[in-house]
Amino acid sequence: MAMDDTRDRLYGDKKLSLWVIAKRTFAYLKGEMVYFIAAILLLALSVGANMLLPIVLKEFTNDLNLKVSGVSFETLLILGLSYLGLTVINQFLLYCESMLLQKAGQKIIYRLRNDVFEHVEEMSLNQLNMMPVGSLVTRVAFYTANMSDLFTNTLVSILRNILTIAGVTVVMFILSPLLSLIMMIFLAIVFVASFFFSRYVKEIFRQERQKQSEFNTFLNENLSGMKIVQLFVQENRKKKEFDAKNQELRKLRMKVVTAFAFYRPFVSFLYYAAIAVTFFFALQFELSAGDVVAFYLLLSNFFSPIEALADSLNNLQRAQASSEKLYSLLDVKPDIVDLPEAKQIDKFEGEIEFRNVWFAYKNEEWILKDVSFTVKPGETVAFVGATGAGKTTILSLISRNYVPQKGDIFIDGVNIKEIQIKSLRKALGQMLQDVFLFSGTIKDNITLYDSETYTDEEVMEVCRYVNADSFIDTLDDGLNSKVIEKGENFSSGQRQLLSFARTVLAKPQILILDEATANIDTETEVLIQDSLKKMRNIGTMLVVAHRLSTIQHANNIIVLQQGRIIEQGTHQQLLHQKGYYYKLYQVQFEQL
Amino acid sequence: MLLGKILSKYYKRYWYLFLIGVLTLLVTDYVQTLIPESLGNIVDLFQSGESDIKEPVLKIVLTVVIVAFGVGIGRAIWRIVLFQASSRIEMGIRDEMFSKSQRLSQSYLHQNPVGNILNWFSTDIEEITDFLGWGTVMLVDAFFMSAIVIVKMYLVNWLVATIIIIPMLLIVAWGVLVERIMSSIWNMRQKSNDELYDFSQENISGLRVIKAFVKEKQQLRAFSKVAQKNREINVKFARISVLFDVSIEVIIGAIFSIALCLGGYLVWRAFGGDPLWGINLKSGELVSLIGYFSSLIWPMIALGQVIAMRSRAKTSLKRITTFIESKEDIYDCEDAVELKDVKGHIEVKDLTFRYSDGNRDVLSHVSFEVKEGETIGVVGKIGSGKSTLSVLFGRVHNVPEGSIFIDGVDIMKATLHSLRSNIAYVPQDNFLFSDEVGNNIGFCKEDATEQEIEEAARFACIDGDIKGFADGYHTLNGERGVSLSGGQKQRISIARAYLKDAPILVMDDSVSAVDVKTEEEILNSIKEKRKGRTTILIASRVSTVSSLDKILVLKRGVVEAFGSHEELLKVSPTYQKMVMLQELEGEAS
Repeated sequence: MAMDDTRDRLYGDKKLSLWVIAKRTFAYLKGEMVYFIAAILLLALSVGANMLLPIVLKEFTNDLNLKVSGVSFETLLILGLSYLGLTVINQFLLYCESMLLQKAGQKIIYRLRNDVFEHVEEMSLNQLNMMPVGSLVTRVAFYTANMSDLFTNTLVSILRNILTIAGVTVVMFILSPLLSLIMMIFLAIVFVASFFFSRYVKEIFRQERQKQSEFNTFLNENLSGMKIVQLFVQENRKKKEFDAKNQELRKLRMKVVTAFAFYRPFVSFLYYAAIAVTFFFALQFELSAGDVVAFYLLLSNFFSPIEALADSLNNLQRAQASSEKLYSLLDVKPDIVDLPEAKQIDKFEGEIEFRNVWFAYKNEEWILKDVSFTVKPGETVAFVGATGAGKTTILSLISRNYVPQKGDIFIDGVNIKEIQIKSLRKALGQMLQDVFLFSGTIKDNITLYDSETYTDEEVMEVCRYVNADSFIDTLDDGLNSKVIEKGENFSSGQRQLLSFARTVLAKPQILILDEATANIDTETEVLIQDSLKKMRNIGTMLVVAHRLSTIQHANNIIVLQQGRIIEQGTHQQLLHQKGYYYKLYQVQFEQL
Repeated sequence: MLLGKILSKYYKRYWYLFLIGVLTLLVTDYVQTLIPESLGNIVDLFQSGESDIKEPVLKIVLTVVIVAFGVGIGRAIWRIVLFQASSRIEMGIRDEMFSKSQRLSQSYLHQNPVGNILNWFSTDIEEITDFLGWGTVMLVDAFFMSAIVIVKMYLVNWLVATIIIIPMLLIVAWGVLVERIMSSIWNMRQKSNDELYDFSQENISGLRVIKAFVKEKQQLRAFSKVAQKNREINVKFARISVLFDVSIEVIIGAIFSIALCLGGYLVWRAFGGDPLWGINLKSGELVSLIGYFSSLIWPMIALGQVIAMRSRAKTSLKRITTFIESKEDIYDCEDAVELKDVKGHIEVKDLTFRYSDGNRDVLSHVSFEVKEGETIGVVGKIGSGKSTLSVLFGRVHNVPEGSIFIDGVDIMKATLHSLRSNIAYVPQDNFLFSDEVGNNIGFCKEDATEQEIEEAARFACIDGDIKGFADGYHTLNGERGVSLSGGQKQRISIARAYLKDAPILVMDDSVSAVDVKTEEEILNSIKEKRKGRTTILIASRVSTVSSLDKILVLKRGVVEAFGSHEELLKVSPTYQKMVMLQELEGEAS
């Protein structure tokens, strides 16, 4: 997944110093310190074992010169077998080391992911509205994965490569200090070349990724907007734009290819040149045949760690950028939180009072203007008015998804600011306009990830209460039937009934319902109305009403116009007044 | 090699690149095999006990220097040449695919989501390019390099060669297994990553519900479960991939060890004057053999991998071929006529239409006539078919022959180019390109002057808004620029269509997000600037259409009424209801 950095900004993103990032990353690492120390020890041992292999080969080669060495076959056999032995030990150590790191790294990422997700959960709806879901998801899933690379791979690979280079150098010096000094020249050349190359190639890779993502955007846009292109007969022009982009992309690809076509062969050239130099100076410095073979073997291990080191630096930078994003998200404080003295209330009577409430989503664009009303326990109140009159907003203020700028809201005489948010929301049964269903089973959706707490019978009982059994019973798997994403395999009426079941199961004392306007088939409509009738007995009920029957049965109808209450009363009273409600009723509810 | 109709023309075009690439590969592969030989020779020379070995050693050094240059230059050449070929083919295939996509109709795009097509453009093309580039390298290495090495090994010593080569087959099998198993576990891991991604996506979107029911803890538990699964699969993936790495190293170590022991035994027997089966192995030869063995490892692994790589590329090629060869359904009929000097007379005769994948008629027996220069309105509820009707004029979908006529010509018998050139269209979804606002307006007229663009903007009452942006007409639309409001987008689409200056303008619910005052101004613009030319306005508000020449009322795909505002007030219940609703809203605001 190519993620273009500049396009993935989030509210609250900030720059953190390297020191802060390192400190916070270390805090996550701390719990798994034992794993990391053990892994490093194993790593050192494995590098050591690896370094013995060229020495074994050196001895073997020299012993093969039987005229001089005069060894028995047993000696050769032992050396031959010890090669396998060392390999097995080395690989076993590597396996243990890798798995230790994986386990530790994955554990850290698991914890980090949970922390980030939990943190997102704590944000208020207002804050969440400012953060595109896509960016949040990228942080939960993708940036955390970048971090896991750091723990499982990058840090250790850096260590391993440094140790290997050091090990090879040491063994070389033991074999021949003079030849080693010459080899250091090669080491330096590869070192410089690799670092320059990796910086250069990182830059063209970045350009290539960007071009690729631009290209994909172009394609995506043109495929989605093909209708427009065709209707405006602009195919030729778009084709020309495409050709230019296609060509550009190819040129960048070739730039990458060319860069590698110089670098990789150059390193190969140096490798073979180093062999030639070894052969040449072996004679000058009077090395043994075994020494030559050992050098030959060491050289094959000499250059690749340097290349890998250069790569690791790039990974390190990526992990740093990712962690910066994660830590700044974790630093965003939730803006609706409990007051320290907030009360926990387990049961409400259900009296609700709005006292001179003013509210605006954006500054000074008042959605609610000086709204005051009282609802007695057990009453059903319907809110009526044109779109944008503020009906839905009233409901979201009660649940403290938003906080009014002026005025107060009381439940049972207690200001809702002084009630613990969780205990407040537990008392409220909120049925929102568009029912959000999660993928999973019907039961999962009614219990909301709480399937284990409720028995099937308990859930079914609730379903019968709200008439949702009518369609659940017809499904092969009943409560365990699959719900696909967004609940698209259910009709909007069925989704409504499921949201009723969800609410009733939670045993609220106050019901909040934002009636959906969607077309619902007559059969289900009857079920919904019947179920609404029953639910009125649960407790206080506040409804943004679109159904005639809901309005007719309300104890009080509050008519809103542009954020103000303009009329109040029962259906009959309001009809009698022949005011705004009367007209609204005629158009919206009376069948023509 | 990968064969297919699509690829063969590229092979014909770039055969020389492949030829040069493969030839350089062969040379490079060959010179590399000189190294183990040289190493063996050095060992023999050093152990020969002779005092003056300077000259032969220098000869060997010279050989290695030649190898160094040969490999360095050769590898550079084949990289550039082969990847040049594969990237050109990649570009060519992309080109073919894009041209194809321009000829496809909406119904194809409807059945094949853009996401799929994008995948063919990226992943599938990459599979093919990869195989053409790296696949060629691997194939040559696997077959040619291994052949040279094996022959050379047999020339040195048949017994050790055989003992080394037989277990080498294990490495080939390993290569195949790695590709198969690793790619399946890789997919599993990918799936688990997707699951984590989807879960987060869905649950962050649905946080509202979770908060309403105070189920944060339970949701977090569910998330943890998914994250835990991801963690386990990642560990499993790591375990298996480490196991594969470890096992190949152990296999190689074991073969190495066998070669050392067996070779050592043969050398020892030969030295003792009692060679086994008459084999007289020298220590230098043994070192060469081990060197050969090292250079055989990569080709063997490549052999295993290239098999799987090819099968993937083949599948991708098949998908792309299907796309490029898919049937086009909207094209000029054989004796299509050019529409010329269109006056803008439209006649719809008994038009019945259903989508190719639909199960009911969206429009049935619709008939009406628009005289040239008239401005008519179309109203109806959601699902009445008014939006469908709007796109049929430009033949976004095929209609039955003889159902829509423009200036008396059946649109099915007109050339697509001339038909679409004569109709300007404002779509409901207000699709704009992520380009400068001015360019979006001048979309159909590349050489539009600033004056023309500004005039179009004034027509759509968006001129003021645009001038208010910091970059004016150069303001970028889209994620990197400003995010325009729905109303602004609508008006820009109107300006875009106006600039086309077509005899017929169709506007599909294009002022719904615009306030009433601006709507009125736009309607005035239409009256003034499109005088004498035909305009069809599809609308959801009565205010949009009430003052037009005629209004068509659609109800579930059937014409309920067609007439002036006054006439409709008498005969159309749908229209009457819309009027009442509007009056009420007017009072509210």
